[in-house]
Amino acid sequence: VFRWVEHTAELELEIEAASSADVFAEALAAFAELVGKADGPAIEEEIFIKADDAAMLLVEWLDELIYLAETEGFVPEGLASVDLGKDWLHAMVDGHTGQPSHLVKGVTLHRLEFRQLDDGWRARVVLDV
Amino acid sequence: MSELIELSEVLWELPASTRSDMRVPARVFADRELLAAIQGDGSLEQIQNVATLPGIVEAALAMPDVHQGYGFPVGGVAATELPDGVVSPGGVGYDINCGVRLLALPLTEAELARRREPLVHEISRAVPAGAGKTKGRARRGAEIEAVLQEGPRALGGSDDLARTESGGCLPGADAAAVSDRARERGAGQLGTMGSGNHFVELQRVAHVFDDAAAEAYGLRDDQVTVLIHSGSRGLGHQVCSDYVKQMDGAMRRYGIDLPDRQLACAPASSPEGSAYLAAMAAAANFAWANRQVIADAVRSAVGRVVGDESARGTRQVYDVAHNVAKVERYDGRELLVHRKGATRAFPAGSDEIPEAYREVGQPVFIPGSMGTSSFVLAGEPGSVELAFGSTCHGAGRRLSRTGAKKEVSGAELRRELEGLGIVVRSPSNKGLAEEAPLAYKDVERVVEIVERAGLSRRVAQLVPIGVVKG
Repeated sequence: VFRWVEHTAELELEIEAASSADVFAEALAAFAELVGKADGPAIEEEIFIKADDAAMLLVEWLDELIYLAETEGFVPEGLASVDLGKDWLHAMVDGHTGQPSHLVKGVTLHRLEFRQLDDGWRARVVLDV
Repeated sequence: MSELIELSEVLWELPASTRSDMRVPARVFADRELLAAIQGDGSLEQIQNVATLPGIVEAALAMPDVHQGYGFPVGGVAATELPDGVVSPGGVGYDINCGVRLLALPLTEAELARRREPLVHEISRAVPAGAGKTKGRARRGAEIEAVLQEGPRALGGSDDLARTESGGCLPGADAAAVSDRARERGAGQLGTMGSGNHFVELQRVAHVFDDAAAEAYGLRDDQVTVLIHSGSRGLGHQVCSDYVKQMDGAMRRYGIDLPDRQLACAPASSPEGSAYLAAMAAAANFAWANRQVIADAVRSAVGRVVGDESARGTRQVYDVAHNVAKVERYDGRELLVHRKGATRAFPAGSDEIPEAYREVGQPVFIPGSMGTSSFVLAGEPGSVELAFGSTCHGAGRRLSRTGAKKEVSGAELRRELEGLGIVVRSPSNKGLAEEAPLAYKDVERVVEIVERAGLSRRVAQLVPIGVVKG
């Protein structure tokens, strides 16, 4: 599950998930909620990213979605598949092209968190909007 | 409030001894009421975090419109001593050279009369707004390259350049320091407004406070003006993302440990610091070019609705940046002044401001929230004495976007604004609600504080008569 936490100017996203891979699925769902629906052609985007640790992988993941939304008008809908390594992620993302409805300028490192708890995984990231 | 020391009625200090990691004090420009509001979010902690930056001098400063950001608060000013003081991309922000440009039309509201609504609609057609892919003209790679190096000068000569901060071109810009991904995000976005709190507003001069400065700026009672608020769009956002990550990875090498990763920084003289400053300057040049293309589109709209003579007589008053880092000299020291949600406000006599304004001080524009007044200010000597030549940049958010939407719907707000006689064009009711006036502090109080503190003084009050929102 994900939820938006109150922040004066930006958007703070908190995620709880059963597995580390699910954290990325929840982040995608949250991003999809921001950019809305699209009714253009259905497409599948392949995403491959690398980073030093899981928290930075989450930043790269959202950065990639911002880039695709802004340059290709890609509005994601769901995760078709995801493979997650210690410092890499490979995913296929289903969606449509259209006019993403909400601009996200960037993914900050402020209060960035990605950790395993006794009962699952928890992540937090603040987006500049 | 007990740990804050009252330096004056409008200036408060948290001494450097407040925390073991602070290198300098943290100071806040505010009266007691604004200070109470400022203490309601995380901005005081954030300005103390800024006070830990290596090389920071004198104090980390918060303007009266300060509010919680990430890393730096929005409304923060920090100066580091060159060459080895740090540069922090987060201290400039994602929207590099977000700023405001004011145009003055050669007519009064009464003379504009019934053409007001058509003009607002024509401006909304001429200036693409909203998120994601936009309808800005696609630019060739060579044209983007030239804009990154030279700013609006690359788009052709214009009298506006002389009335733009830094002549619309920051020295040291290097297009090669801007990633391909940043260029891709910026391609097609030149001349577009973006979303969030960006806007183009048609206004009327409601009150002149300082006749001499208003005359120098070419402003008079009841005159129609256009205020443009936009920045470097996706290109600048990507430059910030690229370099925050790069510096996050490099900090350990420089022995830098900070309380917030988003403050990621490197010595300005280091390879990472130099590369960021070159890319930031290029993104700032892109932003000035963006506002230039928007201004040209507004002039064309004026031409179509009011006439060519009015378009030719639409003069730029000035253009100021409020998210940027600049090299400036204070007391013989060369400093890198980070202004994140703060505006340069040089006083009369400064060589850095246009000759026509040199006797009255640099113009500063403070946009209010949608539907409320904006202010034209002039830089005062106190800005140099107390705030590295800086003043505030806006009203400052009070409520989160979600909080604003709980208080008012976009449709209600649209009706309310129209009831006040303001023509509204916005692609999204949701976006409209997020920027509702109740989400912001009282801009008049913010402006009163910077005036009492001696940072800048009021020259004119502008009230909205039409809003085109991003």
